[in-house]
Amino acid sequence: MPKPRGPGVLRRLAALLIRGPEAAFILADLDDAMERELARGIPLWRARWRYAVNVFGSAFSVWRTRWRMPNLGMSWLDVKLGLRMLVKQPGLTCAAVFALAIGIPVGLYPTHLMNVLEAPLPVDEGDRIYMLRYLNVATSRAEAPSLQDFMHWREELTTFEAVGAATIGASYNVISEDGRAAPVQGAEVTASMFNILRVRPQLGRTLISADEAISAPKVVVIGHDLWQSRLGGDPDVVGRTIRIGGVLRTVVGVMPEEFLFPLRDNLWLPLRVNVLADEEGQERAHTIFGRLSDGISSEEAQAELTAVGRRMAIEFPETHARLQPEVVPLTIGLGGLRKGGLRADPEFYAFQGLALLVLVVACANVGMLIFARTAARSSELAVCTALGASRTRVISQLFTEALLLAVLSAGVGLLIADRIILSRIAPARDKLPLPYWLDFGVTPDTVFWALSLAVFSAAVVGVVPALKVTGKAVQRNIPRTAAGRSGIRFGGMSSALIIADVALAVATVGVAVAFSYSMTEFRDGMGNLSAQFLSAELTIPRAEGTADAAPSDPTEFTARVGATQQELIRRLMAEPGIRGVAVGSMLPGMDHPWGRVELDDENQSDDVRRYSVSTARIDPDFFNALQHPILSGRGFNLADLGEDRSAVIVNTDFVDRVLGGRNPIGRRVRYATRADEEPGPWYEIVGVVGPLGTLMTNSDPPWYVGLYHPLAPGEINSLRIAIHVGDDPESFTPRLRALTSEVDPTAIISEPVALNEVFSFTQFGTKLVVWGAGIVVGILIALSASGIYALMSFTVTERTREIGVRTALGAQRSSIVLTVARRALAQLGVGILLGTSIAGVLFFQMEGFLGQHPIDSPLVLTLIVGVSVMVLIGVPACTAPTLRALRIMPIEALRES
Amino acid sequence: MSSESLAEFELLVMLAALRLGADEAYTVSIAEGIARKTGRSVRRANVYTTLQRLEGKGLVSTRLGDPRPERGGRPRRLVAVEPEGMTAVRATTGAILSMVGELSDVLRGAE
Repeated sequence: MPKPRGPGVLRRLAALLIRGPEAAFILADLDDAMERELARGIPLWRARWRYAVNVFGSAFSVWRTRWRMPNLGMSWLDVKLGLRMLVKQPGLTCAAVFALAIGIPVGLYPTHLMNVLEAPLPVDEGDRIYMLRYLNVATSRAEAPSLQDFMHWREELTTFEAVGAATIGASYNVISEDGRAAPVQGAEVTASMFNILRVRPQLGRTLISADEAISAPKVVVIGHDLWQSRLGGDPDVVGRTIRIGGVLRTVVGVMPEEFLFPLRDNLWLPLRVNVLADEEGQERAHTIFGRLSDGISSEEAQAELTAVGRRMAIEFPETHARLQPEVVPLTIGLGGLRKGGLRADPEFYAFQGLALLVLVVACANVGMLIFARTAARSSELAVCTALGASRTRVISQLFTEALLLAVLSAGVGLLIADRIILSRIAPARDKLPLPYWLDFGVTPDTVFWALSLAVFSAAVVGVVPALKVTGKAVQRNIPRTAAGRSGIRFGGMSSALIIADVALAVATVGVAVAFSYSMTEFRDGMGNLSAQFLSAELTIPRAEGTADAAPSDPTEFTARVGATQQELIRRLMAEPGIRGVAVGSMLPGMDHPWGRVELDDENQSDDVRRYSVSTARIDPDFFNALQHPILSGRGFNLADLGEDRSAVIVNTDFVDRVLGGRNPIGRRVRYATRADEEPGPWYEIVGVVGPLGTLMTNSDPPWYVGLYHPLAPGEINSLRIAIHVGDDPESFTPRLRALTSEVDPTAIISEPVALNEVFSFTQFGTKLVVWGAGIVVGILIALSASGIYALMSFTVTERTREIGVRTALGAQRSSIVLTVARRALAQLGVGILLGTSIAGVLFFQMEGFLGQHPIDSPLVLTLIVGVSVMVLIGVPACTAPTLRALRIMPIEALRES
Repeated sequence: MSSESLAEFELLVMLAALRLGADEAYTVSIAEGIARKTGRSVRRANVYTTLQRLEGKGLVSTRLGDPRPERGGRPRRLVAVEPEGMTAVRATTGAILSMVGELSDVLRGAE
């Protein structure tokens, strides 16, 4: 009979919570105790319940001992009282839960992100798979090893049971039997990859070493999605052929659905190392990785690799002298992180610090709410103390109440994060090239850290106010409670906190509105017309998408690319309904590269003024196809594609900002160079167009200034195409792929999407920032309002008698409200003034970012928006408690006191 | 020489360890022993912390027992009462007994 053990989830939780040298014994004791209880006849459910209680009790005991915490004597009675308090004051509970439900996940986010990025591959013993790469000691950057290094390591290393190689980031044009063509992300891999990852196919076999031979039959292992979508899920797919690029390959195996190694790949070709090892000019990235041998640690593997690296540095000093081989966990390496992961990055700690700061601010504000509530219970606490309760006992009770609040908030926060936020990221995974093994969902580690932060929050919001209202303050308060007052006052710290909250809220409302406004400004410049264009990227792989062909001569390859591009454009123009085709290095709405230029009339001195411009290379028919007329001068013509490439076209923002409105035609610009470099060639401005959404997301302004160069066929391989289709442009995608395959079977059409969606995708990151800024604004507004409300509620409670007396004596309601709320209104006013000043300074700093002077900008209205929002929310928070108190009859108010 | 005076739960833990003996006394058996003899619910977590405190004072010592297959090969951490611990137990129980002394009839509820 198997030994009875605790439920799996509790065992995992116990392993997570109970750490340290005693952990192994305690975990074994848990199972022992359960076995003995069952042997005594205790029902299974009761034994499991006791198991659960002991898990948390043991964990708490371990942590309390480690942190030398005093025995707080918490009991179930405290928990019941705490729950009762939460229900009794729903307003305060909701406000506090809201603040902490945002603050705890925000504080947790950097650590959660680190855990996600550094989690091992989801394969058997994935934490024993490491990447082998180089660290260039001169540049402190990681470098991919060569395939010669791979062959060397594969033979020499003994600390790895197997070493493999894979390419990353390649797409292959897959043409199915019905002629449909679509790119599929795939990888060229050594057969050892499957053994290293210990994955078995669901059909057929994986690659074997024999497949890597040059003369071997052309085979492919496909992924589940490709099998289902392009081969109909045929159970007899093994042995069928499929055209990948221009090469017919035989399917030998199908991998399981969840296998997409190394990133999001769906087909695996044999990596023919001997062919590629001698090629020059190959720019495909490849990754070397291996599984540690049994009993070998990563440190031992690193030591062996370092020794091998030293020998290679001596043998090949020109290439290897500055390269230091390193062994890093595979997922960390694939993520491009340093060897120690995010923990080794100082910026991570700054990020974590900022995140925790948000939590601290939330805790401080919630602490004020709790303080106000606790202060209102000062008479109760004074009585408890008089009856013999120790200070520790009182604090323990208050800490328990705060802990319940914090744990509830953590749960709500995690639920929100998991359901709402992550449900937004998951659908966007295909648009964002995220590796398949990244799982952003809530994990047991996340829960653990959330609970830890909840305990921290409870200490801040519960214990700190409790310390203030207990001890000597309680003794002083006993006479005061008889007089109907708590005797506890909100100090300068609380005033400063409220003012800071209000100021930050006003400033961030302004900044958030500025962001949103700037986003609405950044359109593609085509109005609704962009919705009629299909945009895509055309790429011709250099080696026909496989390692089969010999590398192409660069000149021949350029000619082939140019011919393919021209022929495709010709066929597209011949298609019925197509009204134009624009090609270039960038399309409207995309994040253009930028450069710095100087004008021809500036003094050639060190003080020459330089201007930042967005740049793009476009074919002569670009503006015509986009129905974007030349406003002055001329467009590009074929003559501009000859040897003399001096013609450029600028947009109206260039004329306004760089030339100050002067006539641009005939003026010359050149790209700025360093003082020790030869100056570049001059370019002559031949034409002007309107703004076309050149869009820069880097920090250097301005946003709209555009400079266009002519583009000849074949000069760019990854060519952007915009096809004027009309309504529903994405319906043309299959036809586009078919035409492309007819012209060149290896050519890949990727990212087909309506042109107006390109802008949306480019703005995805900015949208996240705006959304995040909106959340921060909401939090700050809510916190500042709740802080003011807490202050006023407490003040009104203290002054109920005074309010009653004033009302009885005939004072005007407005006068009473102003008298009582004077302090809070003053804090609100100071906060608004301070926030306005901060917003003003920020706008001036953001002048370049905004693209125009803030005084000229309608964005100055954002200040009005910020102030208005704060007044609309803050004034009621200041006055509502008093107005509520005024509803009480004066005689009742006097009696209550 | 003054002896360490034990708190109530510390005394119970040490008495349970003495009853079980050095080869059987570990957290689980000590907690069960106290619960069985006193009828009160004992949290094992409290036994852990008390044993750590007593060990820190030098009143008990712990050692690893033999690996036990039923515990996944993990040994138990066995508890033994040190001479100083015995002295503390005697002093504490002696004080209690001397206070109880003439009150035994009263405590038994004699009329």
